[in-house]
Amino acid sequence: MNFFSKYLWIALTAARSNMAYIGEVSSRFIFLGVILYIFMRLWQVTYHETSASQLGGLTLTQMMWYLTITEAISLSATKVAQEVDEDVRNGTLAVQLTKPISYVLYRLATSLGERTIIFSMNLLIGAIIANTMVGSTPLSLAGLLLLACTLPLAFLLDFLGNFIIGLAAFWLEDTSGLALIYSRITWILGGLLIPLELFPYWLQPLVKALPFASMIYGPAKIFVAPDINNFVEIISRQIMASLAFSICLIILYRIALRRVFANGG
Amino acid sequence: MMINKLCNYLNLAKEYVRLNMLAQLEYKGAFAAQIIGMVINDGTWLSFWCLFFSRFPALRGWDVKDVITMWAVAAAGFGLAYGICGNALRLPGLIAKGQLDAWMLYPPALLPHLLFGKMVATCWGDALFGIGIYIIFVRPDIAHLALFLVLVLSTAILFVGFGILCGSLGFYLGNSQGLSQQWHDATITFSTYPATLFDGSIKLILFTLIPAGFISFCPVEALRQFSWQFTLASFAGAVIFLILGTVIFYHGLSRYESGNLMEMRG
Amino acid sequence: MIPAVELKNLKKEFVVLKRKGLWREKSTVVAVDDVTFSVGKGDSVAFIGPNGAGKSTTIKMLTGILHPTAGSASVLGFCPWKERSQLARQIGAVFGQRSQLWYHLPPKDTFELLARIYNLDLRDFTKRRDMLIERFALSAFLSTPVRKLSLGQRMRAEVAASLLHKPEALFLDEPTIGLDVVARQELRDLIREWNRDEGLTVFLTSHDAGDIEHVAKRVIVINHGRVVIDNQVSVMKRSFLGTKIIHIKFHEEPSLTSLEEMHGVSVAHASAYILKLEVDTEKTAIEKTIHAVLAAGPVADITIEDPPLEKVISHIYAQGLQTTNLDQGRGISEI
Repeated sequence: MNFFSKYLWIALTAARSNMAYIGEVSSRFIFLGVILYIFMRLWQVTYHETSASQLGGLTLTQMMWYLTITEAISLSATKVAQEVDEDVRNGTLAVQLTKPISYVLYRLATSLGERTIIFSMNLLIGAIIANTMVGSTPLSLAGLLLLACTLPLAFLLDFLGNFIIGLAAFWLEDTSGLALIYSRITWILGGLLIPLELFPYWLQPLVKALPFASMIYGPAKIFVAPDINNFVEIISRQIMASLAFSICLIILYRIALRRVFANGG
Repeated sequence: MMINKLCNYLNLAKEYVRLNMLAQLEYKGAFAAQIIGMVINDGTWLSFWCLFFSRFPALRGWDVKDVITMWAVAAAGFGLAYGICGNALRLPGLIAKGQLDAWMLYPPALLPHLLFGKMVATCWGDALFGIGIYIIFVRPDIAHLALFLVLVLSTAILFVGFGILCGSLGFYLGNSQGLSQQWHDATITFSTYPATLFDGSIKLILFTLIPAGFISFCPVEALRQFSWQFTLASFAGAVIFLILGTVIFYHGLSRYESGNLMEMRG
Repeated sequence: MIPAVELKNLKKEFVVLKRKGLWREKSTVVAVDDVTFSVGKGDSVAFIGPNGAGKSTTIKMLTGILHPTAGSASVLGFCPWKERSQLARQIGAVFGQRSQLWYHLPPKDTFELLARIYNLDLRDFTKRRDMLIERFALSAFLSTPVRKLSLGQRMRAEVAASLLHKPEALFLDEPTIGLDVVARQELRDLIREWNRDEGLTVFLTSHDAGDIEHVAKRVIVINHGRVVIDNQVSVMKRSFLGTKIIHIKFHEEPSLTSLEEMHGVSVAHASAYILKLEVDTEKTAIEKTIHAVLAAGPVADITIEDPPLEKVISHIYAQGLQTTNLDQGRGISEI
C-alpha cells in the first residue's frame, strides 16, 4: 500500500534522526536516576510510616514501576502543539486546509515515530534504574503486553490534544501558554506523580473518566497490575476519548477553514 | 571604602534590574505570559503535595505547611537569584563564545557586572509564586515573614554561588552544557524535596556536592523552630558556595585570559 | 611626549589541541610575533591586516583581555592586562558588529546605565550627555527604541555612548560596516572631528579603505603576526589607495586604443565584450577615464570599486616596500 508506506517512511525517518543523540542518553540517565531515587525515598518513607504493604492497591515495588512508566510517557511528549502553531502562522496549514487528512497523518506519523523511540529509551533507562532500586518481582510479561497495547491509543490521544491546542493559533497570538496549561493538567489529572487511587475518594471517579487518565495513568496501571477487565475499560475509555477529541478537531478545522477563507489566508 | 564599593555595586545591580525590567516591559504580553507560565508550572508541584498530604498527613514530622514553606523558600530564592543574576545560568555558553570579552572592557569587576547583565524573565514568576504561597497557605506572622525573606536572600545567594561554580566548569570543559547543566538541575530538583527523606551518606552529599540541603532543610527548620542557628547554617552554606564559585571563576578566567581554552576563540 | 600606546616585542602564542583519534596533538600557533610600535596622544591610527593576521589578538592584548606570552605594553600609562579596570575607565570601544546599546530600549536608557557603570558624577554626566546629543545630532531619536533606528542612527548613538565617560582613547572595530554612503561619511567626519578637536586618540580596525583614508592619519599593517607597514596614510594613499578598478560590459566590441594610451590606466583583463581597468586616480582623474570608457563603445554595465585590501597588501609585498617606523614620541603627522 503506497499510502501507508509513505507515512511509515516518514515515521521511521523521524525516529532515526533522534537516535543520533547519544549525549541525550546519559543526561536522561542522570535525570531519571535523580527523580526515581527521590520518589523511591519518598514512598519508602511513606510506606514505612503508615506501616502499609499496599497503598492505593500497589506495593512499593509496583508504585516505583508505576512512576517509572508515567515518567517514561510524560518525558517522551513531543512538541506537536508548537509545530502545528508554527505551521498555522507560516501558512503551511492554510495551504493544506482543503486536504487536511494528509497533514494530520503527516504530523501523526512524525510524532509517533519520535515518541516511540524516546519512550523506548526512557523505558529502558528507567527500567534499569527501577530494577536496581526495587527489583522487578511483581512484573509479568502479561503486564508488558497489555502496556504495549494501550500505548498507541495513549499516544494518539495526547497527539490529538496537542494538535487541538496548536490549532488555537488561528485565534490566539501565542499558544505556548495554553500548551503549558494542557501539559500540566495532563500531569496532575493523569496521575503522573501519584496514582489516581490515592486521590481524594470523591474525586477519583471524575478523574478516571477524563481523557488525561487514559494517557498516563491507564497504561502505567495496567503494566504493574495487569487485569483483563481493567484493560478493557482502559481501551474503551481511550477509544471514546479519541473519538471525542477527533470530533473536536474536525469542528475546529471547519471553523478555521471558514476563518481562513473569510480573511484571505 | 569597602562599604562605598558595596554601595556602588548595589547601585549597579539596581540600574541593571531597572533596565532589564524596562526591556521586558516593552513586551508586556510576553512578559506576563512567561510569569504566569512559571506560576502554573510551580503550581503543578504544589497540587501534587496537596494531594499527597490529603492522604498522608505527615512525612517524617513535616506536614503540608512545612513542605509548602520549603517550596516557597526554594522558588522565591531561585527567582530572586536568577532574576537579578541571570547570567549565572549562561556562563558555559558565554565562555565558549568568547563573550566575556565585551564585559572585560568595562571598569567594574568582571563577575558581578557580568552576572547583573541579564535577567531571566520567568524567574519573577518563581519569586511571585514562592512569596505568594508562603503568605497564602502558611499565613505567617510578621516575625516569620521577616525571617522568611531573610532566608530567601540566603537561598538566592546559594543559587548564585552554585550557578557560578557549575558555570565555571565551562573554563575547563569547554561548552560543557551537558555536565554542568545536569549537576545544576539535580541540585535544584533535590532542593524541592524534603531533606528529611534522606539518610546517611546521601544526606551528607546534600550539604556538600549537591548543596540542596541548605535550601530544603536548614531554612525550613529555621522557620519551624524560629531558630537563629539554622538561619546561620543556611547563610554559612550560601556564603561558602559563593566564595567557592568566585574562586573557581577567577581561576578559570586566568585560563581564558591566556587564551588556552579547549576551543580556541576567534 | 609620552606615547599613548606603546608596545614592545609583544608576542602571543596559542597552544592548540587537535584531536587525532584518541590522541591529542599539541601544536603552538604564533598569533602575534614580536610586534613593536608606539602611538602618540591624539594620533589616529588604522590597524589593518587580513583575517587571521593577528589584529584582533593584538587589540585584545592592548585592552587587557588577553595576556601576552612575552613583551610589554603600556596603554595610557597602564599595563593593560594588569590594570584592566583602571584602563577601562580611560578607553572607549565601538564594535560595528556588536552593540552596547540595549536593543529594545531607547539610547537614553543605555546612557544612564553607562553613567552608573563608569560611576560618573550626575552633573558632569548630564552636561557631557547633552553636549554629545547635540554634536552627534541624536535628539530626534534619543527616546526611540534602538531596534527601530536605522543603522546610521544606531552607530552615531553607539559612538556617542562610547564617549560618555570622556575616554582618552577610542578603539573602533569595523564602525562603518553596513552603512550607506551618507551615514558612512557622517560617522567618519564625527570621528575625525573628535580626533582633531578633542585630541581623542583613535585606534581603528577596518577592511574599508575609505575608513582608513578619511579617519586615520597613520596606518599599521599587520600580517602573519608581524608589523609589515607602519606609515602615514598619505604615503600609502600615494602608492595604492588611489587605485580604482572599473569593470565594464559592452554591447559590442569596444575600441581600446584611447584607453590604452591614457596615463595611469592599465588594462587588467580584456575579453570579447568585458573590460577590467585599473586606474591610478592620482595620474588620471576618474571622470576622464569614464568619459574615455563611454567613448570606447556602447556600455551595458559598469562597476567602479576600490581594490580589495588583501590585494593592496599583497601588492605591498610584490613591490617589496620597506617598513618605515615613525620616530618614537612623534604624535602629530603631516598631511
